Amino acid sequence: MSAIEDTSALPAEAPTRRLPSPRMLILWALIVTFCVVPFGLVLAISFGQKIEGAAWEWAFTGENYLRFFVGADWPESRTTLYLNRLWYSIYYAVIAALIAVLTAFPFAYLLTRLSRRAQSRWLVFLLATMSLSEVFIVMGWDILLSNRSGLPMVLRETGVTAWLKDVGWFAQLREWGLANPRDVKFKTSMVATVLTMSYLVWPYAVILLYPALSRLDQSTVEAARTMGAGPWTVMRTVVLPTVRLPLVGTVFLLFVFLLGTYVSVTVFADPSQQTLAISVYEAVRGSTLNAPFGAAQAVILLITGALCLWLGRTLVARTGTPA
Amino acid sequence: MTKINRRSLLKSTASVGGMALAGSVLGTPLIAQSRSLKVGSYGGYFEDSFKSFVYPAFTEATGITVESVTQPNSTDWLVTMQQATRAGNVPADISLYSRDSLIKASRIGGLLAPLDASQMKATENLDGYFRFEDSSGLIGVGAMSWFTSMVVNTDYVDTPPESWADFWNSEQYEASLGISKLYNSHFLDIVAATFFDGQETFATNDGIVALVEKARELKPNTALWWSAESQMEQSIKNGDVIGGMYYHDVSQLMAAEGFPILSHFPKEGNPQDYGSWCLSAISDKAAEAQEFINFSSDPATQALMSRQIGTAPLVDRSKTDLTEEEFAAVSGTPSIQPAYEAYLDNETFIKETWDTMLGTS
Repeated sequence: MSAIEDTSALPAEAPTRRLPSPRMLILWALIVTFCVVPFGLVLAISFGQKIEGAAWEWAFTGENYLRFFVGADWPESRTTLYLNRLWYSIYYAVIAALIAVLTAFPFAYLLTRLSRRAQSRWLVFLLATMSLSEVFIVMGWDILLSNRSGLPMVLRETGVTAWLKDVGWFAQLREWGLANPRDVKFKTSMVATVLTMSYLVWPYAVILLYPALSRLDQSTVEAARTMGAGPWTVMRTVVLPTVRLPLVGTVFLLFVFLLGTYVSVTVFADPSQQTLAISVYEAVRGSTLNAPFGAAQAVILLITGALCLWLGRTLVARTGTPA
Repeated sequence: MTKINRRSLLKSTASVGGMALAGSVLGTPLIAQSRSLKVGSYGGYFEDSFKSFVYPAFTEATGITVESVTQPNSTDWLVTMQQATRAGNVPADISLYSRDSLIKASRIGGLLAPLDASQMKATENLDGYFRFEDSSGLIGVGAMSWFTSMVVNTDYVDTPPESWADFWNSEQYEASLGISKLYNSHFLDIVAATFFDGQETFATNDGIVALVEKARELKPNTALWWSAESQMEQSIKNGDVIGGMYYHDVSQLMAAEGFPILSHFPKEGNPQDYGSWCLSAISDKAAEAQEFINFSSDPATQALMSRQIGTAPLVDRSKTDLTEEEFAAVSGTPSIQPAYEAYLDNETFIKETWDTMLGTS
């Protein structure tokens, strides 16, 4: 008995160091099952071959990637359709993330100045709004921007539309696609798309900025004020530099989140300004059953997103060092 | 042998009756002895109406119970059935396919079993177009059809246009129309019927480019390129658009609810689409399936579907007891027959040409 006890006691240390703990094994199994395998599948499918008039089959072809840049009919004709969509994916995500952070920042800053009780009420409210799904939010904005029930109705009933027609600005709105001959219209428009997208992530922006702003040492602000700095100077030279990193981080996070926005774009964007997310969905679930091309587009979107983040980080790091 | 045991008769009728209820309401598995059939249809209002009106009538007429199977649509279901056939166990004996999916299935091969027309006398009521045959025989029989029609909001448009061509008039329709965004939703068929030679124009790439370029001219007048039915429904109700293309049956329902919507057949007509019943190649219920398809092709059943589901009958109105009003609510003339073959043979080119027209300025 004692001999057995001895031998089991001695090497006990060694295996635990060599073998990962069960917890780590479970973690790795989860990562592999839910991240590596699905991504590997998407990558593998992206090299598949479409069969005209039917579905697709496993293969190893670069056609889907080539098609992304020049179109399926190349070299007879060339289309920039998918590059155009990639551009709008990035454009919307950047603009909407910036708008959300720029408007959420003053709000979050003022929020930290409120009493504890008021702060927690606001935070609970914001957390609650996060439970609203994209579909729900888009439905709401759809009603708010509709001709009979929303903003166009308000503008018509208050006489603003008639006034716009009188002064001649209405023609300009028609030119911009923001009016039909009768009323102003926001569906479909870039205004509505970007508005809804930034609205979608606005609570996230506040929640992400709040911790950094609430940890801000108020004595530095007060010191700057007593030395004669105006509120704007304080904001520019004290507050903003302190929260620069969380601020940039929030923009990045929202950017990534917004890259895949689907519902807002399908409902509010004109087809000439739609994103790659729509194109991926149409390829995979649409009647052509072209999963390989959908997968190739998804891979390109992912790579572009990663490149944007890397570029953003490099830029921030470079501008950050002298300061 | 001819002696009928009263008890067993009672038992079997009771079980059939009970099964009909269970099968149609709950979709429970059925006992092997009774005759049964698993029938697929598009989920939602459509399938519910089948379960409430059509299947019970079939069970009453034949004693065969129906287990309803939910199909998301035609194309996804085709993929499901393809995989299931390979695995040797299909979820439905009969599936409902649109004509393009039916042709796709025929080309993939090994998915559908040929049907015996001599066992389905009632199918003779249907036009030959709705009985689809390939090299293996009759593989699809029309179930019901529906139109995508020209719609206008009567608050804004007094008299509906005589022709689809009127929609190209920017004086009247600038930024005011709702048209489907999907390349195969038959808008190109409308363009072909209005300005070109119909289906023939789809035969060449040049023809397709010409169709798409004609559609491009409608861009300034289109306020909404819709992809989901609900988008168009909301927009035309709200006056965001004052006209466009939409489903005839749903428009009629909206008009019946008091919305100022008129579904109209202009002189070129409206595209007619239809669904077909198809028997799985590995189903062992061929006899039951044929009885079902025979029942479905009966003018009385076609009329029942028109009244209860709002689909257009595939038999002449004169064969049914539908009144002129009832018929007008679900159908009209002329009908534009979509260029299904071209949409399949040349799907990548048509889709990309169409998407490029819409997706780049």
